[in-house]
Amino acid sequence: MAIRGVNAFDVAQAQFDKVAAMLDLDPATRELLRQPMREYSFAVPVRMDDGAVRIFRGFRVQHNDARGPAKGGIRFHPQETLDTVRALAMWMTWKCAVVDIPLGGGKGGVICDPHHLSEREQEGICRGWVRQLARNVGPVSDVPAPDVMTSGKHMLWMLDEFEAIHGGHYPGFITGKPVGAGGSQGRTEATGYGVVYTIREALKQLGLRPDQTRASVQGFGNVAQYAIRLYREIGGTVTCVSSWDNEAQQAVSFRKGEGIDPDELVGVTDRFGGIDQAKARDLGYEILPGDAWLEQPVEILIPSALENQLDGDNAPRVKPTVKLIAEGANGPTTPDADKVFAERGILLIPDFLANAGGVTCSYYEQVQSNMNMYWPKDEVLGRLDLTMTAAYHAVAELAQRRKLALRDAAYVISISRVAQACHERGWV
Amino acid sequence: MIESHGRSVERLLRELQERAKELACLYRVTEILGRGAPTVEDAVRAVLAALPTGWQYPNVCVARAELGRHLFEPESFRPSPWVQSAPIAVRGQPVGRLEIYYTEERPSADEGPFLAEERKLLETVAERLGHYVAEREANVAPRGARHPGDSGWGVILEFLRQTDRVLLGRVGRRMIVHLCWNGVAQAEELLRRIAPGGGEPGPLEENQPLPRARPVADAETTEAAFRLAPEHLSDDEILALIQGWIREEKTTFLKRAAERSDTPLPELVDALQRFRQGGIEEADLSTATQLGLRASLARRFLTDQLGVVNLAKQALSVADFHDLAQRLVAPTRSHGRIGGKSAGLYLAAKIVERAREYSATLGEIRVPSSWYVPSDGILDFLNYNDLAEVHSRKYLEPERIRLEYPHLVQLFKSAFFSPEILRGLGAVLDDLEGRPIIVRSSSLLEDRLGSAFSGKYKSLFLANTGSKRERLAALTDAIAEVYASVFAPDPIEYRARRGFLDMHEEMGILIQEVVGRRFGDYFLPVFSGVAFSNNEFRWSARIRREDGLLRLVPGLGTRAVDRLADDYPVLIAPGQPGLRVNQTAEEAQRYSPKKLDVVNLRSGAFETIEVAQLLAAHGAELPLARQLLSVVDQDRLRRLDGLVDFARDPLVVTFDGLVRDTDFVARMRALLDLLRDRLETPVDVEFACDGEALYLLQCRPQGSTLGDRPATIPADLPPERVLFTANRYVSNGHVPDLTHVVYVDPDAYARLEQGRLREVGRAVGRLNRLLPKRGFALMGPGRWGSRGDVRLGVPVGYADISNAAVLIEMARARGGYVPDLSFGTHFFQDLVESSIRYLPLYPDDPQVRFAESFFTGRANQLARLAPDLADLAEVVRVIDVREATGGLVLQVLMNGELDRAVGLLTPATDSGGADGSPAGGWGGAVSAEWRGEDHWLWRQRMAERLADQIDAERFGVIAVYLAGSARSASAGPASDIDLVVHLRPELPPERRRELETWLDGWSRALAEVNYLRTGVARERLLDLHWLGAAVADGGIETLPEGARRLALGGRRAG
Repeated sequence: MAIRGVNAFDVAQAQFDKVAAMLDLDPATRELLRQPMREYSFAVPVRMDDGAVRIFRGFRVQHNDARGPAKGGIRFHPQETLDTVRALAMWMTWKCAVVDIPLGGGKGGVICDPHHLSEREQEGICRGWVRQLARNVGPVSDVPAPDVMTSGKHMLWMLDEFEAIHGGHYPGFITGKPVGAGGSQGRTEATGYGVVYTIREALKQLGLRPDQTRASVQGFGNVAQYAIRLYREIGGTVTCVSSWDNEAQQAVSFRKGEGIDPDELVGVTDRFGGIDQAKARDLGYEILPGDAWLEQPVEILIPSALENQLDGDNAPRVKPTVKLIAEGANGPTTPDADKVFAERGILLIPDFLANAGGVTCSYYEQVQSNMNMYWPKDEVLGRLDLTMTAAYHAVAELAQRRKLALRDAAYVISISRVAQACHERGWV
Repeated sequence: MIESHGRSVERLLRELQERAKELACLYRVTEILGRGAPTVEDAVRAVLAALPTGWQYPNVCVARAELGRHLFEPESFRPSPWVQSAPIAVRGQPVGRLEIYYTEERPSADEGPFLAEERKLLETVAERLGHYVAEREANVAPRGARHPGDSGWGVILEFLRQTDRVLLGRVGRRMIVHLCWNGVAQAEELLRRIAPGGGEPGPLEENQPLPRARPVADAETTEAAFRLAPEHLSDDEILALIQGWIREEKTTFLKRAAERSDTPLPELVDALQRFRQGGIEEADLSTATQLGLRASLARRFLTDQLGVVNLAKQALSVADFHDLAQRLVAPTRSHGRIGGKSAGLYLAAKIVERAREYSATLGEIRVPSSWYVPSDGILDFLNYNDLAEVHSRKYLEPERIRLEYPHLVQLFKSAFFSPEILRGLGAVLDDLEGRPIIVRSSSLLEDRLGSAFSGKYKSLFLANTGSKRERLAALTDAIAEVYASVFAPDPIEYRARRGFLDMHEEMGILIQEVVGRRFGDYFLPVFSGVAFSNNEFRWSARIRREDGLLRLVPGLGTRAVDRLADDYPVLIAPGQPGLRVNQTAEEAQRYSPKKLDVVNLRSGAFETIEVAQLLAAHGAELPLARQLLSVVDQDRLRRLDGLVDFARDPLVVTFDGLVRDTDFVARMRALLDLLRDRLETPVDVEFACDGEALYLLQCRPQGSTLGDRPATIPADLPPERVLFTANRYVSNGHVPDLTHVVYVDPDAYARLEQGRLREVGRAVGRLNRLLPKRGFALMGPGRWGSRGDVRLGVPVGYADISNAAVLIEMARARGGYVPDLSFGTHFFQDLVESSIRYLPLYPDDPQVRFAESFFTGRANQLARLAPDLADLAEVVRVIDVREATGGLVLQVLMNGELDRAVGLLTPATDSGGADGSPAGGWGGAVSAEWRGEDHWLWRQRMAERLADQIDAERFGVIAVYLAGSARSASAGPASDIDLVVHLRPELPPERRRELETWLDGWSRALAEVNYLRTGVARERLLDLHWLGAAVADGGIETLPEGARRLALGGRRAG
């Protein structure tokens, strides 16, 4: 469906064009990287519960695999379009390149709304999707993962179908599998820890010791909780956290000057990261409005809830004490806010670097699956630290050298890595 | 005039009953001998076995016979002194004897313990045996040899001649009439003999009543009739007719008792008892007699609603009423009924019990042990305690009723029940010993008003533990409390509004065992729920209405019946069990039941506890745990494989296993189909499962729940009044009196730049707080609340739409493609629980009407309501319907049966008591409910009064503003009144304290009045904010959004 107005792929291409100009890429490389290398668009017939057959539309886009097998999720979305999938596949190429893991970028999807499908029908879609693509995907060519409205459940159906077709066990075909079924330890922690690894390195760069810093966190979900834990372990103090209160249908901030205790708060938190206000008050927390988290006198802000949370309107309310913002969520800062922070000299670790711990862990899952040998959690997290730290320094060094914002530097570094791989392979 | 000759009716009835037994015995003997047994011995044995049934005390009665050399007697026969004997003769020669013994002593009657009629019976049978033996000896085929006098019917007539000439006369008359109908001329002659006046019907005046006929023919005419009969009818026909008539004669007493509305229930129960013992099979009666009898009984026992009576007469047998009668706890002179709720359950239970063709799918469906106090039990209670004056209480002012209600409850609780009710309740407790009890109302008014009224009265759970005396006290307490709820302020107000105040409320009580099992101190069913034939809340276009709906919860069904504010039941469409509302693990967790209702056996209280709490303590004892629960495993839910740690594993109630691995859904579907089919209406069924069996707890016609009825869509609507129509995926509902429409223009929305789309969502959220609750419709493109691409639908959360009355998603075609709509799936369960209607609109469908110009062309109020949103005016349009139409409002009428909906401009439904709704009674009920929600209006008025009274000069008040829920017309009964008082900055502190004291007086007084109006107790009602005071001093810096300045009465300061 072509919607008038903004097209996600147009946006992605424009962003690429901007960086390509900075890099002065040659026309052939630009032409190659502006477009996906391969696109599959195909029909997935599924026998429905009522006996009728419905044809679903499936996609897989492999944007670039110069650095390694394409990697990217499979989305089940009723309004899926090829252009959306193209844009997201391109984004995966850059994301894998910025943390320097040997994977390319891909994305796929099926036009469907699981809300109107039974579990059996969804299984039919998963298996049908794999049947259509069994020869074009695999552990050494293209590795899918869960995404919007898909989960480990769907991945296991897809894996099973793939293995049935190829007659063997190929756990490295897909990631996002549950632990014990080919999944990796440490996936729960990976994104939150990854955020803090980059924060730790950024603080070194700023000449601050973690124990001299305070942080305020938006969100109390998975990413935020593990980020808070690791940040405290390295010596930092989290003084404020905000969460969504489902009962009050609004966000609420919880403040404790001497530092919040995540274990204490988790004890009064539901499964969705919602904190019980009354119980928190009993524990000595101040209850503040939902956006109070962003105006705390702290050194670090970690927005790890939703997109577009820091915008041109509220950015000025960020206190002058703030030195660092780490984007735990996807796109929490609008371009307007970016400008405000840049002018104030606040260091901002962009989302696709800060929260790349997730995709890095997926890479480890694939590696372990291919070896058919699984690492203990410490080993996974230890390697994650190395990867994230190296990635941060590469980006930061470039940023300093070229006087770039971290966000731009991250794009530059990832696009140049991909371009280089294409050149060395002799493609362009 | 009854030929009683001074004998009591009671005695007559008993005699008639005896006659019936004797006749039945005689038929049986006639049948045995006429059938031609293989040997004479076989025949004699069969006759001996049949004989005792004809005697008064069959249980202690044995028969024996001597016939030639043979002796026929039961094993271990011992002679006793109480014997009746008759000779058997063959062709005049005595060949043996027929004897009847009572093995125990019985009161003496005509001949020792025997009746004279029994002597006749014995002789008649002995004579028949003699004839039979003679026939067999002569080896003549019995049939061929028979002549009228000797045939089966002749024997019966002969017996009647000797025992009951009145009955004989009636039978004779019916034979004459029968012959007349068959065109036998001589019979007409006979009829004239017994007809009044004994001749031709004279030239009577039309209006003169016919003289009363004696319905009995005299002996001679009767004999003539039976001489005439064999000329026209075969022996078998005559026998069958006589048998049928005699049987029906025997039911007359029951028919009379049931038809007379002044027969007290206990007498009716006695009559039923006699009917049962009379040895009459209901199936032997003519269909008309059966139906007539059942209809009368249904009217007396169940309800006077014609629809129910009609269904009951098809579904219930006389024996069922007999069984029901055994479960009545009735006052001596009761004329009450058990009420709609009890009747619905009883009817459904019997239908399920007998539905053989469904039994394979249904399996065993049980009904909990139930007892009934008929509807006039409450009158008996009031009279017994001289409390009848409470009837007039309902005419008092609502405030007074509310004020006095707590006393009334105590008064009722300390009142006494009559001894016969106490005896009955004692028997109930013996039956239900060891099991908790629920005491429910089953009101007659509920039947009339539909269940919009249900839930207004109390249902109480009792732990039923302790000594019998304690249990009885708890039970009577509960019944008294349910009785008191008849006079509670809310039902009275509701009745007053609906014009039913003058009717005496009679309320039956249903006492039911609570289905469940014990877990520690808790007693609860493993799961329970409500099932609906029609699915009025479809979350997918693939679900059809007739696919039905289940609302499932763990624990007691109270949480499935009511809409929940703080929790969610699991929803399943039995016709499409695979299509679940919640698909991701996150959704399934968020919308899973977290609490459950239980009976606490230790405290005796009904409690709500956390599911996790129960699982941690008793998970291992929980049957069906693998059917009820799923475990969260990272991003997915999986079934409970292997060992489960109920205290630590992240468990969620999903009922996935129940749907996937059991036949539960198929059974529920069969149950709904069966009941819909037999009750001829979609139904709404409550059920529960104790971990083993499935129980039916209640059954009533669907549509009883508020707003679930199809709205009547008038024909020939004036086109200029129709704003839109819809013809796809329409559910039932009626949304009246919409004064505002928030219209998000699909084209403008599509043109809007990406970054501003979220602003639209926020704007909607703002309007949601500013517009009157349930007084506005939200209309907009695509998938509201879409979490993915915001371009596909307005990005809102439930909090942003929570006050809307209806959410309308518009699928505008783009490039020949019509997008899928969301059906509100993102907050579907929130919509259901708060009764927000959902309607999908396809404006480009040529079959529908869509007055786009109304939405795009009328004045946009957005800037006026929220000036800072003015730059979104292109996209978000707020239409004040009354202003745009000169006083009309928008109604949305939704009819799922026709799959049609219409948005119609109409005058506002009037605010008086009568139904002004064009949608008919039910729609009216909805608007009546909403008219009741005038809490904001009252608050506004009070705030205005307060502002008018304030001494502004003295207290240094510059202005008073009304803000919050009272301002936005969304205040509920518990809401406070937000006032912003703008003070002169230089006001001395003591003046401010004086003002605070003055306002505190108001605050307390208003809280008291609010309590009397609503029953919500608060200490103070005002929430004061100070403008112009220091923030540290409780001041605020800016005026809250939307605050309205109130006119000050006194002189203004400054």
